[in-house]
Amino acid sequence: MNRSCIRSRFLCGAALVALAASANAQVSGNAQANGYVQANGNARKGEDVFTTNCGECHSAREGRDKRGPSLYGMVGATAGQKAGFKYSDDLAASGIVWDAENLSRYLANPRALVPGSKMKFDGLANAQERADVIAYIATLGAH
Amino acid sequence: MSQILFTLPRPWRRALAGFATCAALTSIVTPAQAVPSFARQTGMDCASCHIGSFGPQLTPAGMRFKIGGYTDTDGKSGKIPLSGMAIASFTRTAEDQEPEDNIKANNNLKLDEAALFFAGRITDSIGGFAEIGYDGIEKSVALGGIDFRFARAVDMGGSDATFGISVNNTPSIQDPFNTLPHWSFPYLSSPVAYGTGGAASFIGDGLAERVLGAVGYASYGNLYGELGSYGSLSPSLQNKLGHGRDYQRLSMGSNAYWRLAWMQDLKAQAFHVGVFGWSASVEPDRTVASPKDRYRDLGIDASYQLLGTREHVVTVNGAYVRERLTDMENEQSTLRETRLNASYYYQQTWGASLGHFATSGSDSAAATRGQMLQLDWTPFGKENARVPEGLSWANLRVGLQYWNYSRFEGVSSGASDHNTTYLFTWLSF
Repeated sequence: MNRSCIRSRFLCGAALVALAASANAQVSGNAQANGYVQANGNARKGEDVFTTNCGECHSAREGRDKRGPSLYGMVGATAGQKAGFKYSDDLAASGIVWDAENLSRYLANPRALVPGSKMKFDGLANAQERADVIAYIATLGAH
Repeated sequence: MSQILFTLPRPWRRALAGFATCAALTSIVTPAQAVPSFARQTGMDCASCHIGSFGPQLTPAGMRFKIGGYTDTDGKSGKIPLSGMAIASFTRTAEDQEPEDNIKANNNLKLDEAALFFAGRITDSIGGFAEIGYDGIEKSVALGGIDFRFARAVDMGGSDATFGISVNNTPSIQDPFNTLPHWSFPYLSSPVAYGTGGAASFIGDGLAERVLGAVGYASYGNLYGELGSYGSLSPSLQNKLGHGRDYQRLSMGSNAYWRLAWMQDLKAQAFHVGVFGWSASVEPDRTVASPKDRYRDLGIDASYQLLGTREHVVTVNGAYVRERLTDMENEQSTLRETRLNASYYYQQTWGASLGHFATSGSDSAAATRGQMLQLDWTPFGKENARVPEGLSWANLRVGLQYWNYSRFEGVSSGASDHNTTYLFTWLSF
């Protein structure tokens, strides 16, 4: 892994951890990750969005893969690289780093970002809900 | 409290002792990993696919899994596609019944059923289940329901479409919405009591496990459709499979089952509305040359699920079937069935369900009407459940039903004599 990639992931993770800390304090605020402004992400509301939309296929617990992988420690990670889970070839080869912007784009329309994704999800159209759920996922630990 | 317990009839005390044992077991806890083979295959919890964390009522995720041919997986190998279940119960009716073999006049404590299942994915496109069941009342073993599917998902103009075929031995076993007879409410009832009465539509379970059929199906966007046909197994094969010999004959191609539905999954809620039907010509006795009985069943059905964050889940299901029979002597009769039920589950664990059932027709003796209340407790089968040490392979439901009859097989006077209390423990693994 080259230095710029490591630095990028570190900055991304740090920004999202800061976002998580802010949200954990039940404060809706702004956080910036890789130049993307994550507007008003509220982790507490995001947990509800997660349970309603994601929880059947994804767990928030570390190491608990379901039909989809555990989202613990997902932010800042490179897509499709987690050991022990079988991703689609397209996602594994995408090189996408899960920063807030890419997460938002993916959650809005998974197959627009990764056409061969196995994730059977029509997308989360509401930008505020995407911001909230990303804030929640960030509380689960950054890569 | 103990005085109250000892004033109860002995079977009640034994049943309550069983409940106490279950409650005691749950005080020894470990994290849940808990569930039968489909759950192990997908890595998902029972609660992901089933309302109230226990089958058979499906959530939208469960419907997608079924329509997808039972093939979804978490990608991990080494899963054994075998499951089992056992149901034990205590049944008390308001008035004694005529005793029969293995059935007392009242207060029956029974092992209702024990079953083994093959249930799992075979290839990327093929999956299914097959049941071998032990009937604790008849004390016999038989092949139960089977449903094997081939399904393929394709992208059509940017929308997902799934095409599949179900090969099964019970009309309506392929139902993903829990409104047709095989999987509809009540999902469980006493095998030694009265149920919804003796009369049932042809699309009901009258042919269950005595036929083999192929049903093609497709879902595209919000539309879902099925079309298929069934044929009777030979009497000798029925007998070999544990069902005895039935000489009625339904010929493949002489009948058509169909269904069309609109379904919408909004994540926090979901609903469907649909129509279905079955037209069939049946030889009442294949050993005698005679004209056929002709059945025309037409039904409407709908379901609604308020899912939210799964803390509070509310469901409403209903179906209405109108059947017209033109018999071999060209006489016509009708039968109408109505089934409605609503349920509420708290934390996917504590449930209360209320159902209304009504059957009526041109033959007044067919008329049965009543309500059923069920309270149940499902402690496992969800991600954050605490499972007793050594029971992480299991899921459990304990429930109490009360059946109230206002009319039974055409008679209102004395219908309440059939009122039934049914206490059950349902274990799956």
